[in-house]
Amino acid sequence: MSDIDVQARLAALREQYSRRLIDDLQTLMAQSREMSARQSGVDFAALDVLRQGLHRIAGSAGSFGYTALSRDAREMEIWLQTALENTNPPTPPMLTALHDRLQDCYRALESPPLSEVDEPQGSYYLASGDRAIRVAVLADGDTETLIQSLSGFGYECRQLSGALDPHRTWSSWHPDIAIVDTAKVAEEIWKPAMEAVPEAALIMLSAESGFEARLNAVRHGAQGFFTHPVDVPSLEHRLRHLVNLPQQDPYRVLIVDDDIELAEHFRLTLKMAGIESRVISDPQDVLRGLRDFVPDLVLIDINMPGCSGPELARIIRFDDDWLKIPLVYLSAESDAHRQAQALALAGDDFLVKPIADVALVAAVTARAQRSRQLSLALARDGLTGLIKHPAIKELIELEMARGQRTDTAACVVMIDIDRFKSINDTYGHGTGDYVIRLLANLLRQRLRRVDHVGRYGGEEFVAVLPSCSLENAREAIERIRVSFSQLECVAATETFHATFSAGVASTHEWSDAETLLEAADRAMYEAKQGGRDQTRIAVPPR
Amino acid sequence: MKPLQRILHVEDDISIQEVAKVALEIVGGFEVTSCDDGQSALSRADAWQPDLILLDVMMPGIDGPTTLGKLREQPSTQAIPVVFMTAKVQPSEIEHYRAIGALDVVIKPFDPMTLAEQLRRIWEQHHV
Repeated sequence: MSDIDVQARLAALREQYSRRLIDDLQTLMAQSREMSARQSGVDFAALDVLRQGLHRIAGSAGSFGYTALSRDAREMEIWLQTALENTNPPTPPMLTALHDRLQDCYRALESPPLSEVDEPQGSYYLASGDRAIRVAVLADGDTETLIQSLSGFGYECRQLSGALDPHRTWSSWHPDIAIVDTAKVAEEIWKPAMEAVPEAALIMLSAESGFEARLNAVRHGAQGFFTHPVDVPSLEHRLRHLVNLPQQDPYRVLIVDDDIELAEHFRLTLKMAGIESRVISDPQDVLRGLRDFVPDLVLIDINMPGCSGPELARIIRFDDDWLKIPLVYLSAESDAHRQAQALALAGDDFLVKPIADVALVAAVTARAQRSRQLSLALARDGLTGLIKHPAIKELIELEMARGQRTDTAACVVMIDIDRFKSINDTYGHGTGDYVIRLLANLLRQRLRRVDHVGRYGGEEFVAVLPSCSLENAREAIERIRVSFSQLECVAATETFHATFSAGVASTHEWSDAETLLEAADRAMYEAKQGGRDQTRIAVPPR
Repeated sequence: MKPLQRILHVEDDISIQEVAKVALEIVGGFEVTSCDDGQSALSRADAWQPDLILLDVMMPGIDGPTTLGKLREQPSTQAIPVVFMTAKVQPSEIEHYRAIGALDVVIKPFDPMTLAEQLRRIWEQHHV
């Protein structure tokens, strides 16, 4: 195996180890803090636990490239060892000093900025890379509304008329996506045009909505199918899905098997297929493994000493947090009756050993995919696909904690569609929903990948922008506000324009998620009172 | 001299097991089997007959020195050389491990790029 492979393997192991290290250091910090706060006598047993933790880090970190950390941990271990052997136990100030030193190690570990924080501030023009995504629309007649709407989302659009010789223009412009209106343009025209740009994804618009029309689209290789009149938010959603498709995180599988060689073989097989896994050989470590690794699926050996697979599956199912994760048994057991018994206790499926590598990968991929879709769906709002209210609050807390660690500020933006009730009353609830989806998609499209957007209530949204100054946040939201007010909303008989009001607050000024959200909310109300269709910044009381 | 080929690595920390596997198998070209406690090391050593056992000192359950004692009691594993691996570096301790029958001691944390070479050197020193 080449040196590059070795380095790649070591880098992968280092990454895995660093996650564990963060946890271990946090535990040690908590232990030392607790001990330094103790009023009554010294707990020698607890000190020894701390020493063992340091010993583990001292002996392992260096093998993963964390040489300085190994050295630090060794020094702390020796210091504690001496204290333990000494008749004069460590005083609370000494333990506080130990805690502070651990905290320094922890900070040093985290200090290479997280990739999210790397993102340049204020890069709010387009979320999708260096250039705008190019959309070619091949249609005759009036596509102005469609092109205007898509341009409002940040796509670069060009209309190409079927009457012109289209493929010459297409091939030099390199569209990412081609939207073909099959109701208006004949197949003889659009087919050669598509052949000139084989890398572009095809979306078909059709006058027919029946099964035949859809089948025809599939057979032409279309990756999207819409009927007239086109629902712009759905179309936009599909476009974004198409261009973002390859960026999914790898699936994660936790393998619980006491046969380490076999487990290691599974791990490598899955790794070759781009699936990350972690091996646990002692069933007792499974809960910790779930917490640390947060897998999409767990593979469990059915026969393990001390705790059988079905017993372990039931232990996992005690915890509501892991209800949605598929538990799949791996077993040499081919007896259908005994398999059924195991499944009756807990668990979702069986894979019988020996299993071909291809079959393992296929089985794991299908179930992990399903599991991930499900957990995404559970945390997201049905209408907009945005994060739901409770989840966004957790995110704000996380961002505040991250901001404190990295000494950067995050901003929270509260957004409310203006006169939404009158939109509903005038055009009906269907149109109201359409406007909500339009704004949801626009926010997703225009904010950075690191930003979070949630639906807070009926027509209210909240965006969390990490590593972002108040001024940058205000500018970004202002640009989105202007774009939104220019988008044409399509109701049954007419088109109209909608606007929103926004309030921005920074984590610099407020200390917890609750008051931060309230401040952003107050600023948003000030924007409403100031005449709507504007953005206000929350000013802390002096 | 018989070349060093098969190494049994006994270590309770999975992360270290994995990095040692890369270091010994891929960098060093050895055949490696890992197990994570002293008890399973006894049966694995008996069944697999490695050329050398790389044994962690601090392990829950039976620790490295106790495992070494038990290996020496088992006729099938009596003669298999054992190298200890430890994060403790006091010279007195290293002497102690040699005294109870370890071939040598490898210090933790080890460098994955040179671990195999280190073991090969120890092997050669003791067979010349």
